[in-house]
Amino acid sequence: MISSSERPARPLSRFARRFARRWLALAGAATTIVVVLVAVFAPLIAPYEPGAIDFSSILRAPGTTGHILGTDDLGRDVLSRVIWGARASMQAGVFSTLLAVAIAVPIGLVAGYYRGWLDSAIGRATDTLLAFPYLIVAVGLAVILGASLTNATIAIGLVQIPKLVRVTRGEVLSLREEAFVAGAVADGASDRFILFRHILPNVTNTLIVQATILIPYAIIAESSLSFLGLGVQPPTPSWGVMLTAAQPYLDRSPWLALVPGLAVSLTTLSFNVFGDGLRDAIDPRGAR
Amino acid sequence: MRGFLLRRTAQSLVTLWLASVLVFAGARALPGDPAIALSGEGNDPAVNAQIRAKYGLDDPVPVQYARWSALVLQGDFGRSTRSGLLVAQIVVARLPITLELALLAMLFATAIGIPAGVLSAVRRGGRLDAVANLFSLSGLSIPHFWLGLVLILVVATTYRLLPASGFVPLAEDPVENLRRMILPSFVLGTGLAAVLMRQTRSAMLESLSSDYVRTARAKGLSELQVVAGHALRNSLITVVTVVGLETGALISGSVITESIFLVPGFGRLIVEAVGTRDYPIIQAVALASAAGYVALNLAVDITYSVLNPKIRVAGGTQ
Repeated sequence: MISSSERPARPLSRFARRFARRWLALAGAATTIVVVLVAVFAPLIAPYEPGAIDFSSILRAPGTTGHILGTDDLGRDVLSRVIWGARASMQAGVFSTLLAVAIAVPIGLVAGYYRGWLDSAIGRATDTLLAFPYLIVAVGLAVILGASLTNATIAIGLVQIPKLVRVTRGEVLSLREEAFVAGAVADGASDRFILFRHILPNVTNTLIVQATILIPYAIIAESSLSFLGLGVQPPTPSWGVMLTAAQPYLDRSPWLALVPGLAVSLTTLSFNVFGDGLRDAIDPRGAR
Repeated sequence: MRGFLLRRTAQSLVTLWLASVLVFAGARALPGDPAIALSGEGNDPAVNAQIRAKYGLDDPVPVQYARWSALVLQGDFGRSTRSGLLVAQIVVARLPITLELALLAMLFATAIGIPAGVLSAVRRGGRLDAVANLFSLSGLSIPHFWLGLVLILVVATTYRLLPASGFVPLAEDPVENLRRMILPSFVLGTGLAAVLMRQTRSAMLESLSSDYVRTARAKGLSELQVVAGHALRNSLITVVTVVGLETGALISGSVITESIFLVPGFGRLIVEAVGTRDYPIIQAVALASAAGYVALNLAVDITYSVLNPKIRVAGGTQ
């Protein structure tokens, strides 16, 4: 039998073992996967149409036959709406983060690699954008673009750019001092080759960890915007929309607010726990 | 030191100037022609042209910006298109309410976050550490508006311990004011408490493994003296910086928190202004919060450089 110490483990399997040792991170990853699956397969899973109004069964408490999580003020099935709401949240969370990464990473790469006046200009620009509270910028952008899920997603993505530029830049700044970059320069490699073949792959870990921080952030931002009436428009189900609609019934039918809120909290919590585990597994020195 | 101060102040001014350009451009990008809004129902092209000429809306954009910024520098943000009141007056009336809320939130956050961070660093890897970690993750994950609704439901509606919402001015009835501020400021402080806990913990872990702590232990100081007198004192520098940087998050949080608890502060003003498309107010609010953030960060950086001379050479905390 070959013991693991005799054969050097591949980085990926070593990473997987480190990650698997943390049960909380595993639970987070599992919940995250479940939420993603629910969002993708919402039409197949939801017992009712999310918009199906039924005035004969209004504000039924959870546990009612046929409605495990009860019904809302229009008799719509809460479970079905929460399931469909996962779609809006995932869409906002994932796509806004992708948008932010697509724009911020090239900017951060260039700023950190070339430094000089370009870096200063980009630095001032990110400083300026960071000076505005993110929700105010998101609210402003949502108003400029018009209230809808797509526009809220774009607004949230744009708001996340400056922070991500900073993180990428910082990472590149330290990477470009590494010996392998100096070696590539000595080899006569082009800037583009060094940036994309040497530096970018080394930034990827940080970016993955950042994504697990940004996605839950974006999910909360989406539900906040929808809560303020600037995101998903009713009757389309979203967790934020459901919470707004639940406010007048808080004392009579508290589950209307509890259920979507639990959904948001559980989803963001599992993303955060998952991200924490990832960070520790990728960089065990940082695991403290 | 003087060079650093000048450089850092100049940077802040540039940031602030860029922010004002952004606010001005942003307001122009908002949907709706101000001339049509001002001309009212008639919407007569001749009247619109007259209004455009009167307010200089046909001038080149840089000219308009110059005129606008000259007024803003004098504190003149114009009048609210909704109520006709001076924007500056409205902002000055609302700001103290949010400042009180934010201060109380910071109080909650430091009272919870710093001790929790210290304890989990000292008991690193133990059960207490795990519990504190889970709490901080929850603090980061639970959205303000939901925590607010749940607290209203439990504390106000079910047990009637505190009023659910509403506001009483501090000057009118300080006790009632505080009673009504407890829930919103607690909600607003949870996210900051979580961030503080994590920062304190990692700063403490770093100090606890440093040479001066080893020396302090070797001198035979008690554990309490080592933790509180040496490690915590040095960790607090990082913590202060974090509080400064999180002010923007507090203002963002106040938008939601004030909406739920019906607190008529700065955050609520933003939502109202957006709802009624009151552009002068939106401009003033955005610029005021950016200016506050820039000023606070400048203050933090300067404090930091006084405490830690190495920063001056490196050129800022960022």
